Order: sequence, then structure tokens, then C-alpha cells
Amino acid sequence: MTLLILYLLALLDGLLCGLRTSMGRSALIRKRAYYTRAALVGMIGAQIVSTLALVALIVAASFSSERAALRADLEGAAGRMLWIFLPYAGLVLFNLGLRLLPSIDIRSATSVFMLGPLTAVRPLIMIVGVLNGLSGSRLWATRVLGLFILAMMLSLEFALNRRSARTQSDLIRELV
Amino acid sequence: MRKADVLEVFARFGNDIALRAVRALPDIDGILDAREIDSLLLAIHWEMQRLAEEFYHGHRVWELVRCVVTALRESGFERTIRIVDVGCGIGYTTRWLAANIPAADYGIEFIGMDLNSTLVAEAKRLANCEKLPCSFSHQDAFHSRDSGHIFLSTGVIHHFRDDALLEFLKRHEQVETQAFLHFDFQPWLLAPFGSMFFHYLRMRTGIARHDGVLSAARAHTARTLVDAARKSAPKFASGIYGAKIWGTPAPRVFHTLVGVRHAIVPELRRELGVRVSRLGELR
Repeated sequence: MTLLILYLLALLDGLLCGLRTSMGRSALIRKRAYYTRAALVGMIGAQIVSTLALVALIVAASFSSERAALRADLEGAAGRMLWIFLPYAGLVLFNLGLRLLPSIDIRSATSVFMLGPLTAVRPLIMIVGVLNGLSGSRLWATRVLGLFILAMMLSLEFALNRRSARTQSDLIRELV
Repeated sequence: MRKADVLEVFARFGNDIALRAVRALPDIDGILDAREIDSLLLAIHWEMQRLAEEFYHGHRVWELVRCVVTALRESGFERTIRIVDVGCGIGYTTRWLAANIPAADYGIEFIGMDLNSTLVAEAKRLANCEKLPCSFSHQDAFHSRDSGHIFLSTGVIHHFRDDALLEFLKRHEQVETQAFLHFDFQPWLLAPFGSMFFHYLRMRTGIARHDGVLSAARAHTARTLVDAARKSAPKFASGIYGAKIWGTPAPRVFHTLVGVRHAIVPELRRELGVRVSRLGELR
């Protein structure tokens, strides 16, 4: 169950990364299709990361002489990661929810006071979350796997950003 | 434009960040590469639009414009109301209004004007892409031939200082003009720091980041704006709208210099309804 929640959080993070990296790169007014595509690309990116993590997990398990222990260790680490990730995700979703209220002041305040700072601390939250998860783990395979996933998730926004930048640059070159 | 000339300007201000940004601009034999500069300008304005979207600027503008339009109608103004966005850039406000407001129902038309031809061309392209009922023009917004009934702007007025600010506001005193609404950053103690944090977080180009911080630092106080408007455009009742949040001392990011013909002040107050408390002294 904890691994499933972690997977869902990774998809959510990918979705938001996809949206964030596409913002400011299209000046149309009606952008529902544009943002839907960006969110999907982000989720696909997160899915690729998750799949690679799963492959790494299978490889680690197949070489491990203590599979049951590895599984328990992984679930324990994932559970400890959720202590950091779940409140963070909850805060992000709560503030995104506040933006549904029909008040320009409240919507603007969520950006200034919450969503902006929450975006700024995302890499830190990821590092702290993973380190917290690994802090109590006993097996090296768990630690390597955790750090591998951390590196992949941190790279995701970078990769999505590069992709969006290239698309934007191509479009602007056509215009000018 | 010669790169050295631009560098000299910023060297005079001792602005090292701007100097670094200009040095990074591509040039051909010392002349700034026009194509690259245009590309950069577009990228910057797309980014700036992102901030306007994030802060629901279209909604903010319409909230006030709607009241002014209705007040004008209540006071007997029957013709199509020309709403001119001064220094429209790539025309976000104008295009947002055109996309979201049934102009025909209100008897209004939306026009954006700017002195930068690249930005105006982009505004036209974007409006055409979405078939929006608005137009854009590469010209001086205050040319009397195309006078607006309502002039509005966003983040423009802080570019005018001292006598230039007086002159800018004086040009609203045209026979046809009924109102002006200039939205701009509100200066306060933490604004430059907040702006710096937010621009570094949200903007990708160095120039956009630095410009956002400078704009917050250079924004005019409400007193400066109102005094200048009352001095230069006495045919309008001028005041500040939306300075504080919900009557608390907390300042909004944006405040608005409002000017309306004296005759429509009572109607405007009525149309604002509960929001009339956001309107400062209008005289």
C-alpha cells in the first residue's frame, strides 16, 4: 500500500512538473488542451521514472538472498518517506483547491504565500523525504534504490523543462 | 542598436546585474542582433503573461472596467465604448477581455496599442490564432484620431517619472476620453524582496527576472500617482482603487490609478457596490 501511495505521489509530482515547465511558454488565452498535454507529458515522465524504479527493484530482488527482508525494508523506507511527502502534497493540493474560490485576492495569495514557496522547496523536500526514508533502512539495496529514484525524480523537472524550452525556442524561431 | 551604447547607459546607473544581462546579448560586430533580441523579447513577454495568468489579472481588470462601462451607460453614454490598452505588449489583457467578455452585449471594443512592432505583431498573431474580437495597432495610444473612451494599462505607468509622468497623464485629457485605469505594482517595504523571490522562481530569462525586481522598486506610491493625475488631468476625478486587502493594512500586489469624468463618479460608486470600500478618495 505504501509503495502504491508513493507511486501515485510520483505521478502527481510529474503532472505538476509538466504543468510548471509548460507555463510561460505559450501566450494563447485558451490553453486547456495545451496544459492537458503538458500534464500528460509530465505524468508519462513520472511513469517512466516509476517503471525504471520497478525494474531496478526487480533486479535488486532477483539478486537478493533475502527477498522478504528487502521487501519489508523497502516498505518501511517508503512509509517513512510518506511522513514528509504526504503533508507536502496535501499542502500543495489544499492551496490548488483554494484557487477554485472566486476571489482574486485569495487566488493571488495562494501563489505568493504558498505555491511559490512550495515550488521553491520541492527539491529540498524530495531530498529530506528520501533521506528520512533511508535513515532507518538496513539493506544497502534499499538505500541504492532510494537514491536512484531521488536522482530520477529530481532530473524529471530538468528534462521536462529542456523539452519545453526546445519546443518554445523552435516556435519563436519560426515567428521571428 | 550598438551594444556599447546600451552598456554605457547601465554603467551610468551602476547597475551591474543589467550590465551582465546586456553583455550576454548576442551581437554582430557590436550591433545587437535584432532577430535574437526580438526572440528574447517574445520569450520574456510570454513569461510575463504567465504571471498575469497566475495572478488572475484579466479578472482583476474586468472587475473594474465592467463598473466603469456600466457607470458610463447609466450616465447616458450610448456609443460603442473603445477600451484602449496602452503599452499592451503582446496584448494579454486585451485578448483576455476579448476571449471572456461578450463585447457586443456591453457595446464595447478592445484595442491594444504599443510602440514595439514585434510585440504588436505577436499580439495580432495570437488574437488571430484564437479568432478573438480585438485589434492591435503599432502606434501612439494617445493619438487623437484613435482616442480611447477608456484607457487602461498594466505595469506601464512606473516607466514614466517626474515630468514624463505628468505629460503621460495630461494626454488623457481628450474630448472623447471618459476614464483611465492604470494597474501597477504597489510599492511597500517588502515588495522588492517578494518580487525578487517570485521572479527568480517563475521567470527563466535574466532580463525578465531583473526587470520584475526593478519594476517593484520603481513603482510609484499612491500619493505620487494621485497628485500627478489631479495636477495633469483635472477634468477627471482621480483616486486609487484596491490598495489594501479587505480593509486590512495588508497591501495588494497591484493598485490602480483610477480617473473618471466628474459627472460619472456617483454612478461608478453605485456600480462598485460592496467594493466601493476599495476606492480611495476620488476627486
